[in-house]
Amino acid sequence: MNKKTTLKSKSLKYIKIIVLWLITLIFLFPFYIAILYAFKSPEEIAENPISFPTKLNLQNFVQAVHLPNYVSGFFNSVITAVIVVGIVVLVTSMASYMIVRKNNKLYNLLYYLFLFSILLPFQVIMYPMYSQLQFFHMINKLPTLIIVQTGILIGFYSFLYAGFIKTVPLELEEAARIDGCSKYGTFFRIVFPLLKPVTMTIVVLVFLASWNDFIVPMVFMQQQGVRTMPLIQFYLFGQYAQYVNVAFAAVILSMIPVLGLYFGLQKYIVNGITAGAIKG
Amino acid sequence: MPLSKIEGKSNAIFFMRWGLDMKRKAINGLQDFSFVLPALLIFVFVIIAPFISGIHIAFTDWNGINSTYHYVGLKNLISMFSDSEILNPFCNTIFFTVVTVIFINILGLLLAVALNTEFKGSNIIKTCIFMSMVVSLVLTSYMWVYVLNDFISPFFKIASPLSSPDTVMIGLCIMSIWKETGLAMVLYYAGLKTVPKDLLEAAEIDGANGIQKFFKITIPFLAPVITYCVILWLGLGLKQFDYSFVATNGGPGTSSMSMAMYIYKYEFPYYKAGYGQMVALVYLIFVLLITFLTTKALRKKEIEL
Repeated sequence: MNKKTTLKSKSLKYIKIIVLWLITLIFLFPFYIAILYAFKSPEEIAENPISFPTKLNLQNFVQAVHLPNYVSGFFNSVITAVIVVGIVVLVTSMASYMIVRKNNKLYNLLYYLFLFSILLPFQVIMYPMYSQLQFFHMINKLPTLIIVQTGILIGFYSFLYAGFIKTVPLELEEAARIDGCSKYGTFFRIVFPLLKPVTMTIVVLVFLASWNDFIVPMVFMQQQGVRTMPLIQFYLFGQYAQYVNVAFAAVILSMIPVLGLYFGLQKYIVNGITAGAIKG
Repeated sequence: MPLSKIEGKSNAIFFMRWGLDMKRKAINGLQDFSFVLPALLIFVFVIIAPFISGIHIAFTDWNGINSTYHYVGLKNLISMFSDSEILNPFCNTIFFTVVTVIFINILGLLLAVALNTEFKGSNIIKTCIFMSMVVSLVLTSYMWVYVLNDFISPFFKIASPLSSPDTVMIGLCIMSIWKETGLAMVLYYAGLKTVPKDLLEAAEIDGANGIQKFFKITIPFLAPVITYCVILWLGLGLKQFDYSFVATNGGPGTSSMSMAMYIYKYEFPYYKAGYGQMVALVYLIFVLLITFLTTKALRKKEIEL
């Protein structure tokens, strides 16, 4: 009897593992297609899309790099993402610190405004922002993209920081204040280093959000020289429909930084996003 | 020295001190405020100012280019409710939201439960399923267009879901489910770690089976995570723009247009900024209402459990 149940549970366990691996393969399948296409010639794709390439067409990757604006687009994306990460981390950590420590009506009102922006569909502010930016002659400029992305991200990351700061004990700060440390000194020397776990997560998530953002560049950054990667990819697949292989090669190349970030810092991503959810 | 004079002097000192105190308090307050100021400035420029001027635009007939426009009162609102074409993107958005919220959460939860007991390779599986989270919506759309059109369709001898108006939304839902399930899995996986093990063991000794344990113990402990996940994907679903715009450009015809894309179409290519803005505002109220009601209902359930 006992032996029978263990046998049953053991085979159940193996079925479960096989099903899980099958699901994993399904999840990996689109990546497989992208890689397959990136290595095939257009003729091979036309003949049979899912067969293996007869030889590795590295030519596709060379062509991808030589696409107009590809390299400048890559650097636009990197510069934007890095600066947005810097500003969001600095600005939201300072703001949420004061909001949590003050905890009075004025600062809470501010916090609710930030939270409201999480729910705000971008389309509500898209058009008025466009005319506002036009008024200031800010359309098609990289700093504009940086400011707009930062503004949109402030809400959610203030929320993440505020949740974490609530768990940081007050005693250390009080001790620093008694020792004559200024407010800014207390924050940057004592509090900010304590926030490191959540800061790491926010660095990764903000980088991803900025790197993958499509609608903001599409509305405000249409000019050739200032486009970022998602916009370039969008036009690539539109214009080079017969050169899908080159488009996929370009896509694979642009995925390398984020995949590198993902495999390197996966632990921080998981910790941070779950911290937000578990505390509710 | 007469007493009154001493009193006067101490009063003066008191007022001086009081003045200094006030000054110090003001400086203190300003110093505190300087912490939130940079965030606030950017926030006002990017969110608040456009939001307020958007309310103003919604009551005009502005086409978005001319410098002149007229106030039309509630005309935009009336034409919105009399436009029968708005029904299609609205239903599409609701369909997309309901399907993705249900499938992402159930699949994510099932995967988390299955991976909760570790085995050889369980971490690799988690990494692979979670990986789609780093891919942009643009890439997700394109990869799936080719997967569905070039592979699924010929291999299973069925028409690609993207080719017919009846099934195109299902195709878009598949894309979203593929991209988001990994994130749901990770969130539920972390939630499962908060379920106390001794409680599960006690239930087992009392003769509870797996399904009973799951519904009577695990689910109540997961309630806050469920609330968070449902609200998260509710918001993302209602705001969905990229899949409709990139994968199908709203097509075939207008059969896969979402509300966000409908608003975009009126504000930019159709040159009806006033009307588009009014629809956007009404839609915002709808999104806030739905989110608020769902949160309230789920929180109530949390307490009941």
